[in-house]
Amino acid sequence: MSRFVSPASLDEALEAQSQAGAQALAGGTDLMVTLRKARLSGGQMPKLLVDLSRLLELQRLNLEGGAPYLGAGLTFRFLESNPLVTERLPLLARAAASVGSVQVRSTATLGGNVANASPAADGLTALVCLDAVAEIASPRGARHCPLAELITAPYQTTLDLDEIILGFALSPPPDPAGQAFLKVGRRGEVAVARLNLAVALDRDMADPRVVLGSCFPTPRRLADVEGLLKGAAPEPALWQKAGELAASHFTDVCGWRSSADYKVPAITRCTAQALSRAWSGLEAAS
Amino acid sequence: MPLKFTVNGSPVSLEDVPGEATLLEVLRERLDLLGVKEGCGVGECGACTVLLDGQAVNSCLIAAWQAQDREVTTVEGLAHGRELHPMQQAFAETGAVQCGFCTPGMILSSLDLVSQEPDPGESEIRRALSGNLCRCTGYHDIVRAVRRGAQRLRGEGSES
Repeated sequence: MSRFVSPASLDEALEAQSQAGAQALAGGTDLMVTLRKARLSGGQMPKLLVDLSRLLELQRLNLEGGAPYLGAGLTFRFLESNPLVTERLPLLARAAASVGSVQVRSTATLGGNVANASPAADGLTALVCLDAVAEIASPRGARHCPLAELITAPYQTTLDLDEIILGFALSPPPDPAGQAFLKVGRRGEVAVARLNLAVALDRDMADPRVVLGSCFPTPRRLADVEGLLKGAAPEPALWQKAGELAASHFTDVCGWRSSADYKVPAITRCTAQALSRAWSGLEAAS
Repeated sequence: MPLKFTVNGSPVSLEDVPGEATLLEVLRERLDLLGVKEGCGVGECGACTVLLDGQAVNSCLIAAWQAQDREVTTVEGLAHGRELHPMQQAFAETGAVQCGFCTPGMILSSLDLVSQEPDPGESEIRRALSGNLCRCTGYHDIVRAVRRGAQRLRGEGSES
């Protein structure tokens, strides 16, 4: 049987989280499923559940200044509908809207999505495209860690047991109109991503970003695809070529596993489509 | 420390609630609110949907303690005596209820939707209810029910 605490301040939360057997609970939508499985199989329960959902320190939102920041405790429901997020970070708003159901999005948080580190996490793919750096607190002080370093493997992070993610500092691409997020699942809604894709283009093709998720152990920016796009003339043939390169990167990393028959054409077409959509967004906005 | 929250307008106080207990378990097993159904238990089917401070959540994915000092609404809290809530009435009238297992969750998700969008179109309704599975109706009559319920809640007569 677990005890449950709802700390009212970050200091209280850090103290609770540093007790042996403590487990942080953000929204709980992944954790409660894990606990249910553990209970049914006679597995071990955490000694202490530390509810992070009431911490104001995790609810910060700053998209108007020069240092955009999103608190780890913001829910996907908030992120999909907040006007600032939809205007400035449309790819994140789209990713948030594609997570689970309304019920899940009402409680699931961005920080929980990262800490759980599912290879299919939609929020994660979006955050990697926004070059997010996690701000992490512990009794030893704060540290800052790019997501690519924080998440090491499926469901594995470098988070210590006594650490809490406070939020994410973002370096979004210059023009929101050039962002796109695309997801393929078994159905249109309430689907786990078979692949998800976040892309961002700018008018000069100076800082193209292409992130593919649910295909690798962790979401990754496709450096070779970005290299192809950088400074190139934006046109349909380029999107197609980028798609083919993305797919060949996938098979290089993962080999020709059983899902490749499906994933290779899907990655090719989705990448081309997302890039085309991002560029059309820029053209429409100009 | 007791777990305290409000259910359907009434305050409750419960002793000895384990940290890992779900809101679903507490509502059903401690408070006898059997309108809250357990379908899948992992947040896929929506049969356990309740409103937490007005927002639809899966009570199977919420620790009961997350409801501390908050307001929970279950389907039992909708009717006034023998008078059904307009959304319940609309479900009954349109044949949107067959076996009935998904109905409480469907109705509560619908109420969350209409609190945000009083006049939802078909695609908005389908999207809002995508976390509520029904194995009987084929959804068509449920969509009609939500439109009719929304219309009544807006104070208009029903068109279909």
